[in-house]
Amino acid sequence: MLKRDEWLDLARKLDWELSYVSEKDAFPEVQSGRPWLPHAAWAGWDEPFRTSYPEYVAGQHAKEASVAAVREAVGRVEDYQRLPQGWLEGLKLHAAMLPLAEFAAVVGNLRAARFGRDSAWRSAALLGALDEMRHTQIPLLLMHDLVRWDPQFDWTHKLFHTNNWVAIAARHLSDELLLASDAIEFAIATNFVFETGFTNVQFVGLSALAHGVGDKMFEKMVGSIQSDEARHAQIGAPVLAMVAKHDRPYAQYLLDKWFWRSWLLFAVVTGFSMDYLTPLEHRQSSFKEFMHEWVLDQFLRSLDEFGLERPWYWDIFLEGLDNYHHMVYASAYSYRASVWFNFVVPGPRERAWLAEKYPASWPDLDPVWQRITDRWRAADPGNDFAVHGTAIVSFCDLCQLVLSNGTPRANTANTLDHGGQRYVFCSRPCRWIFEQEPDRYAGHKDVVKRVLAGEAPANLVGLVQRYFGLDYETWGKDAFRGEYPWLDRRRA
Amino acid sequence: MIPLYGFLEGDTVGLLVLADGDDSVAEIARKLQTAARLRVAIEGPVTVLYDGKPVDPLTTVSDAGMQPLTRFDVRRRPPA
Repeated sequence: MLKRDEWLDLARKLDWELSYVSEKDAFPEVQSGRPWLPHAAWAGWDEPFRTSYPEYVAGQHAKEASVAAVREAVGRVEDYQRLPQGWLEGLKLHAAMLPLAEFAAVVGNLRAARFGRDSAWRSAALLGALDEMRHTQIPLLLMHDLVRWDPQFDWTHKLFHTNNWVAIAARHLSDELLLASDAIEFAIATNFVFETGFTNVQFVGLSALAHGVGDKMFEKMVGSIQSDEARHAQIGAPVLAMVAKHDRPYAQYLLDKWFWRSWLLFAVVTGFSMDYLTPLEHRQSSFKEFMHEWVLDQFLRSLDEFGLERPWYWDIFLEGLDNYHHMVYASAYSYRASVWFNFVVPGPRERAWLAEKYPASWPDLDPVWQRITDRWRAADPGNDFAVHGTAIVSFCDLCQLVLSNGTPRANTANTLDHGGQRYVFCSRPCRWIFEQEPDRYAGHKDVVKRVLAGEAPANLVGLVQRYFGLDYETWGKDAFRGEYPWLDRRRA
Repeated sequence: MIPLYGFLEGDTVGLLVLADGDDSVAEIARKLQTAARLRVAIEGPVTVLYDGKPVDPLTTVSDAGMQPLTRFDVRRRPPA
């Protein structure tokens, strides 16, 4: 009987010479990506896991059994009911953002499993597709049990099927990243930048916080997902190395583009949880500190390894680390009825912690929370709309998120006329991404343009109910109805 | 109706302001301050910037040349 290493490459690295069609027809650039190189150039491609299918099935079976055991032990509604309120709101946010994006990643992986330029790459991507199917199913299964208790958890499945502004932004990103990218762009954008670069913030950082608050189910779920991601993310580096070798400017472009797009998403999703929704006593470090420890150091080392430069907007990004998620959170708090989870007002202790962690930016952000606090002090508990915005906010024509980049003193939104249309961007990097491939983005309408075109209601309540898909039961509220122990209404 | 993106100094997000062409620049500044008042209150006089330059508050939106879907800023007026 052959030993494993004697037969393995017959299964996972088996390429053959084509005779009925040309290699270019079998692997067209539009699907395989560029630079288009003959297979001989890719023949040395490999990744370190070298997983066989039987090993994959056995490993995944064990992981599934482990998740099921934890669910059996601590996955009941009453287990979640014991968790801190703010943490539960972060859970709703993550639960909704995760599964259908993972489902889109199935498609991206399957494209690579067909059009990746080496069979070892295709084999790894096929297992990646199976991984992502699992990552779709786990949160859908776990959160389904909670819907009867709290209908906001229904958005775990619902979000991506709505025209909620967060869904529009999430689809704009995931459609391009996961559904529309060719195999090379998918490998660099998803496997390298997104999975290797950013998901540690989720899988390490948030997992540690979940452990701290006692959410064993979330900790188990992300740990289980991470073990898959760690494997299929390995596709990214050898593809990037090949592209950097043959077309360095394009490799740099893909890195710059996807680092920025990924950053905006993680800033909102993870930044909210780490700096606002996790109770203060369970926070270990700030989102910015996590980013430095788990993303930036490793990312910059990787750039050196491939002979690439840090993105041209690095200083803008560093300023964003101090500001962006704070600006979006304060804005989203004041329009919380437009999303499916609830928000927490940072109290005096939280604001002192934020001032310590963000000394460069917090002095300009704190007055916003003082205003909101004063408004709650003057309002009756539970009267959410007394402490809620009424105007329509504006959205970026690239990332589709709110125009909250820059600082409170100097918002970086800017406009561009292109093809007879006017576009607005939250930042120079978003504008730059648009300008590189305007035909790819120009036809997409942001929420404001949908309102102006008569496709969406112009008043906020109509927009929330009829377009964003929310109702009184599900729209976001203040998680504590404005009844905070530190809020002394007698001073009103 | 002229839709404009308004940015109030100190605020965390840009807001959509629907202006009439004969609204004064001071009026759209007031609309923006009203829309953002949950988060920001500027005490005292303000300056309106369009295309990065100060605009006379008494002029109209049309006369100021404000185009749909462009940006204006409302800032604290520095002490004289």
